[in-house]
Amino acid sequence: MEINTLDLLALISLVTVATALLVGGQGRGGWQLSLLYLLQLVVVASMVMMAGGEGIISTLQFSTVGESIGWRLDGLGLYFLLITVGTAAFVSFYMAGPWGEAYQRDGGSLRWLQVALATNVFTMLLLLASGDLLSLFIGWELASWAAFWMMALAGGIALKVALRYLIYAMVGAMMVFALIVILYGQAGSFGFDEIREASVQMERGTTILVLLLTVAGFGIKMGLLPFHLWQAPAYAETPGPGSAFLGAISSRLGLFAILLVLFRVVDGAWIELYLGFMNPQTLLAWIAVATIIFPTFTAMRQNDARQLLAWHGIGQGGYMLLGIAMMDPLGVAGGMLHIFNHATYQAALFLAVTAVIYRTQTSDLNHLGGLVVRMPLTFATMLVGIIGLAGLPPMNGFVSKWLVYRSLLEQGEVLLFVGAVIGTLGTILSVYKLLHNTFLGSLRLEHQAVREVPITMWMPMILLSGLILLTGIFPGVPLQWVAEAAASIGLPMPQFNLGGVIAEGGSLDMRVISGVLLSGFAIAALIFYGAGSSRRVNPLDNYAGGHFLYASNRYHYSNNFYAGLMHLIKPWYRGIFERLEQIILLLLAVIADLLQGLYLQRQPGRVALVVLVLLLWWSTL
Amino acid sequence: MMVVDLLIELLLMPLVAFLVGLVMVLWMRRLGARIQRRVGPPFLQPLYDVVKLFGKETQISHGVLHDIGIIMAMGGYIAAETLLPVPGMDGVAAYGGIITLTYLMMIPSLGLALGVGQCANPNGSIGISRALTAMLAYDVPFVIVVFGVAYHAGSANLIEIIDGQQQAGVAGWGLFEMPLLAIAGLITLQGSLGKQPFEVYVAPAEIATGPMVEMGGKYLGGLFVMQAFQFYTATVLYVSLFLGGGTNWIDLLLKSFLVLTIPVSVAYLFPRYRTEDLVRLLWKWPVMIGLLGVAFVV
Repeated sequence: MEINTLDLLALISLVTVATALLVGGQGRGGWQLSLLYLLQLVVVASMVMMAGGEGIISTLQFSTVGESIGWRLDGLGLYFLLITVGTAAFVSFYMAGPWGEAYQRDGGSLRWLQVALATNVFTMLLLLASGDLLSLFIGWELASWAAFWMMALAGGIALKVALRYLIYAMVGAMMVFALIVILYGQAGSFGFDEIREASVQMERGTTILVLLLTVAGFGIKMGLLPFHLWQAPAYAETPGPGSAFLGAISSRLGLFAILLVLFRVVDGAWIELYLGFMNPQTLLAWIAVATIIFPTFTAMRQNDARQLLAWHGIGQGGYMLLGIAMMDPLGVAGGMLHIFNHATYQAALFLAVTAVIYRTQTSDLNHLGGLVVRMPLTFATMLVGIIGLAGLPPMNGFVSKWLVYRSLLEQGEVLLFVGAVIGTLGTILSVYKLLHNTFLGSLRLEHQAVREVPITMWMPMILLSGLILLTGIFPGVPLQWVAEAAASIGLPMPQFNLGGVIAEGGSLDMRVISGVLLSGFAIAALIFYGAGSSRRVNPLDNYAGGHFLYASNRYHYSNNFYAGLMHLIKPWYRGIFERLEQIILLLLAVIADLLQGLYLQRQPGRVALVVLVLLLWWSTL
Repeated sequence: MMVVDLLIELLLMPLVAFLVGLVMVLWMRRLGARIQRRVGPPFLQPLYDVVKLFGKETQISHGVLHDIGIIMAMGGYIAAETLLPVPGMDGVAAYGGIITLTYLMMIPSLGLALGVGQCANPNGSIGISRALTAMLAYDVPFVIVVFGVAYHAGSANLIEIIDGQQQAGVAGWGLFEMPLLAIAGLITLQGSLGKQPFEVYVAPAEIATGPMVEMGGKYLGGLFVMQAFQFYTATVLYVSLFLGGGTNWIDLLLKSFLVLTIPVSVAYLFPRYRTEDLVRLLWKWPVMIGLLGVAFVV
């Protein structure tokens, strides 16, 4: 039997899991794992280089009840896999050194964290390389459970919020299962091509059901509104680097599956369908915009750095879906590119926050401040990261959002456009609060002795920052991967070059834009520093309107940072989604109680009555 | 040869913007003086101010980021000018379009926010909280206006937007094609320039509780330069969107000063609002008018 690159990758991935079991627990011993992830990255990169056409089919296939199950990796899976493995490489490197030792001192098990990470990567490989609906379902379930494991590792609150995720994930899995049953019923096969052929003749009702199950079932993982409540707490409670991995890529699997089913498995005719009030495309776009706005403004209210980031993660997912829902070249490119861009800055930001926690033991935004003088590299990472997250030039987040805006502009979707921009502006406010409350303002007395994190931690952060900047200046590189991914599911792509996109009615060349921006900074710096030197004073040596700020009396304006705005929009936060969740849970509890009563025969008389009624009803049929 | 021409343009555009911006500052002061029956400052006063502030002997820095913030505030606008086409010079406008320009114009605000944050003065931070809230307020109607104009022109490229108006003649100006958007844009201008009644976030009258509290010498000078750039950028952009741009420099300057006169006159005639009033007002009137304007365009 000949072994191809996909088999090789799966093998290395499995070896990584085994190695994590063996040496994952040794703080500094984790370098073998980083090496293995790098090896995986090299294999994936070589696959990206040689990609095209049919994709790589794994020799690992088996058949059961007359159906063969197999794996194959095409452009779409490869794109997600590249991000997955890349993130894992950064994260494992970060985890392996002093951070891991500190984690173990605090009672955590580094070994299981490493194993969880490796398992996540392996199961995600299985999912991304699924070649039919059965292997898709297997991969989906395994990846969901692996993510749950990672979230629950910390125990306590983490376990509680992870269990909440599990409930959501199980509901999603039921929907996915129903979807697979329906599609199998249509085609009599699990194969993508067979289903695509059969789906052309699908009835209207069936098509709507398929659409609904796909978007809801997989959308839960993505944190699509109104299924978003689980995500932020669950990611925020995951041990530091783990949250960076989950936040960067894990929830994007939902988007992957939605793309795969809607554009590859099912025939594209669903786009033409009219639902009575709007078509599915518009509906998707509106769900996306709702997913952008609500979580972003919820993020702005958070007082914990990790919660804040996790909420933004949900909101940014909306941009990806919004772009793709436009289904024109610019929108697709923007939405798909945002997946990569988001992974880079979200990982950097989570790692930076983890670094702050490593030194200060807190991520409470009301108990930090002034750390820029103590942790300049971590600050730099967070600065680059938030500029990326907010989507300002010259970072990569700007490019993908620009593409989405341009697409909305071209289609004349003014309300969607305004919604997307409100999300961006809200993000700017929110991330400035994150940076300000952590790094700016006055340094607290207890943080006087804080130092920069060790090299094993700042190195991956700085490398990620470099990546955010470089892919911002040269977006053509990731756009090439996006093009392969879009081609494999038959979505259009705009014309692009190394610096950006060439489009009718306004192009973008980030080489030029970054060039003038950085030159502008350089000229301003020349003028500024040319005007003579300035005297550096103690940060506390400042003017406070007649009051004096003593060294023992720190005042950092952090709590309720946007007091004026909150005063205005507070009535809008009614927690309707929380209430919706509670109502559904209550209904479930009532039904479960009734069923349990039936099963345990608590009230035999009532059971007999129910059975009798059912029998009578049946007899009349 | 082409590259050299472009480089000269890229240097000239911010320089011209700076000089015109200084005259605009003077115009504002003179106008205010006339309304208040004063004489007003001499012609070179803004230049004296810049020279004085940059030349001060005592320059107080609260840290590297304090410096970088000011550099970003000036540098962001220097870069933005190269994307704003003026008569005879298109710069690099074709490489980014109006969406990029809109986002570049946010960089100076972010720079100011970073610089002030480093100063560790709670009053400065409160000022930034207000300034960013104000940005949230005025940028929403602003992007609606930008959207409407770009959609109407069928292009996000400013050069094409200006050319389209100039070819259509005066009746084809954005002002007459999209009067509602032009009104919304004008109200937005008042907010983005931070002029009365929306100037509370700049807090020029009570410096101790605003973002400027720790700014002196060349730090304040940098922000002064930023204000000059801001006057120029905002008014020239408005002229480009609604008044057909400038066919030549006299045309452009005439229109720009005319546009600037409106917010400045309003500023001297009206009192101020709180920031949350700003959100309420800007999200209501210009947004409504703007959406109505877009409805006509789409």
